[in-house]
Amino acid sequence: MNRRAAALLLALGALLVALPHVAGSYALSVATLILYFAYTGQAWNVMMGFAGQLSLGHSIYVGVGAYAAGALFFHYGIGPWAGLWLAIALSVLIGLVIGFLAFRFGISGVYFALLTIAFAEFTRIGFDHLDWLGGPGGMFLKVAQRDQIDLANFRGPPIMYYYAMLALSAAALALCAWLLRSRAGYYWRAIREDEEAAQALGINTFRWKMLAVTISSAMTAISGVFFAFYYNNLFPEQIFNIGRSIEIILGPVIGGVGTLFGPILGAAVLTLLSDGITEALAAFGWEIPGIKQVLYGLVLLAAIMFMPHGIWPALARRIGVDR
Amino acid sequence: MTQRTNRRQFNQAVAGLGAAAALAPFGIVRAQAQKLKVGVLLPRSGVQGFIGQSCQKGADLAPGVIKQMLGVDIELMNADTESSVDTARTRAERLVQEGAHVLVGPFDSGAAAAIAQVAEQRGVPFVINIAAAPQITEQGYKFVFRNFQTGPDIARNGLALIGDLFQATNTAPRTAVFMHVNDTFGQAMLKGISAFMPRMTQLPFKIVDTISYDPAAKDLTVEVSKAKASNADFLLLVCRLNDAIILRREMVKQRWNPMGIISPGSPGMYEEQYYKALGKLSEYSISNVPWYNPNAKLTKIVEKAFLKQNPKDKLVFHGLNAGFTFEAILIAADAFKRARSTDPKTLADAIRQTNITEKMMLGAPIKFNAKGQVEGIGSACVQNLNLTPTVVLPAAAATAKPVFPAPYFKRA
Repeated sequence: MNRRAAALLLALGALLVALPHVAGSYALSVATLILYFAYTGQAWNVMMGFAGQLSLGHSIYVGVGAYAAGALFFHYGIGPWAGLWLAIALSVLIGLVIGFLAFRFGISGVYFALLTIAFAEFTRIGFDHLDWLGGPGGMFLKVAQRDQIDLANFRGPPIMYYYAMLALSAAALALCAWLLRSRAGYYWRAIREDEEAAQALGINTFRWKMLAVTISSAMTAISGVFFAFYYNNLFPEQIFNIGRSIEIILGPVIGGVGTLFGPILGAAVLTLLSDGITEALAAFGWEIPGIKQVLYGLVLLAAIMFMPHGIWPALARRIGVDR
Repeated sequence: MTQRTNRRQFNQAVAGLGAAAALAPFGIVRAQAQKLKVGVLLPRSGVQGFIGQSCQKGADLAPGVIKQMLGVDIELMNADTESSVDTARTRAERLVQEGAHVLVGPFDSGAAAAIAQVAEQRGVPFVINIAAAPQITEQGYKFVFRNFQTGPDIARNGLALIGDLFQATNTAPRTAVFMHVNDTFGQAMLKGISAFMPRMTQLPFKIVDTISYDPAAKDLTVEVSKAKASNADFLLLVCRLNDAIILRREMVKQRWNPMGIISPGSPGMYEEQYYKALGKLSEYSISNVPWYNPNAKLTKIVEKAFLKQNPKDKLVFHGLNAGFTFEAILIAADAFKRARSTDPKTLADAIRQTNITEKMMLGAPIKFNAKGQVEGIGSACVQNLNLTPTVVLPAAAATAKPVFPAPYFKRA
């Protein structure tokens, strides 16, 4: 990382730390959402951006993580810190099953993507029939109005959730930066660029792809735990929906797949763009249902057309920092 | 001469748009006006867009009607939840920051739960128009109020009306096959029906088979043939719109003509699209749902206002959605009138004391219990007659007599 990049990162960090003290509650909720998508996008990026394995069913890890921690809290009053480990363990287990099935039997590319969708879908249907978890009627975690922070139960005002998500995003960024420079990072990129060539060089591709799945699913499970305790209600239809998987990957795709800052920038651009369009339409007094989605789609189309590798690589080149 | 946009110009434009968008959430709170600002959160786009727009029609006519009724000025602050829980939460935050005194909406239980947390955290009253998950008012919230039946209430009232229907038509079907959509609402209804059926001894029938299906199902051939094979006298159906259309078509294809199709309380069969898609085939389907009283004085006023705002539409096709949305705003306005204040806590206290007797929807006067739930909301037996949802029961609100069994009925 060059000096300019370090300075920019520090400035961004300082801005994000100070944000709750200058921004209103709405901006705080939008910022929390951006960080949530940045973190989850970063988790997905490990699998696709680094190791080249396209997962279109990442909502499965969010959902399983959310339900695991949520159920422990709902049924036994066990706080999220203990639930977190169960969430990670279950998500990793599912990730390993998917990974084993795919990598052991040579399923790759779009077929691997289809497999991930299939797992997410039948998990959704399975959860619809699990009465212990509320079934399709949903699971509602007990909430109360709190101004004081209760870290043990992860309960508190919105600012607590913001800082939790900020800490998670910063940790994910640091972890990914370290991973990219580690042996795993180099092997993953070799696999991503040409798996057969990587194998020919002696890289155990099965092992390193399984590692990518493990790390990605574990990270995503943590975002699921956050989701459960932030929203406090879980419905299989919402959390396992393929739409949520698409939401997760849109940030890194628009920001720049395989880059460190792409998922963060992508999440920020998409969330702010969505809200910006809403504000602009309100300012013009246009209340046409669905027009926002059309404009949003057009902007995404333009972004993909003019910046096919994502916004961050183009921006990084322009401002003279590392990708 | 055409001017081409080069990459640099495009990037500058994107950066400009990004900056504008980035600054958008940091808007300054606008000056407070001497009127009640009602933040209306509805899913006007996305998968629930159709219903959200239907609800919006009830919201749009509310300021005029309420001004005429109570002399209260209302400013609507509309927000689209885009059928997303995330958006519902952030839009609620936005509305509160912009100075909404009360929030109304949002048709969906998941979104309602998300908005409820914002309302509770920010201490702003939230009046739920439509959302049936019982847990929402079981959380001990102080600022959350609901003027809609919970899932179990809908099921209980719907089943009771089935008994009334059989009595009114001198029929006594012995068996029913229960088909339900397997989603949040369908499961809640299944639980409600399973709990209440054994206790409702006045019902002459028993359920011989229960068949669930995916809400996104594109084909119900297997489910319908299984239901037909049960030889049940009538079909008890908990559906949504699209699956209701698919299912009815499939029944015709398979020549299954039971005594009737009766919903104990679900959307679908009274909605305009059902009639448009099915034409004559939509006739005689029955939905026992929370509905408006067509004979109520307020209904006449609302109907007139609706027609004025939507000359090519009819209130009857938006009865439940527009009716409950209108009433939610009416509750807020009534509280504002009594409280003479937009202070959130004072408004919430006033809402708690609500006692609206002149109302549009069927049932007891609007009064909230300690949990913020209105009890005694009534349901109507709404039958499709002449391609129009028609109240046939309770007799006091009926505009036609029920037709059961349906004329197409053929005993197997």
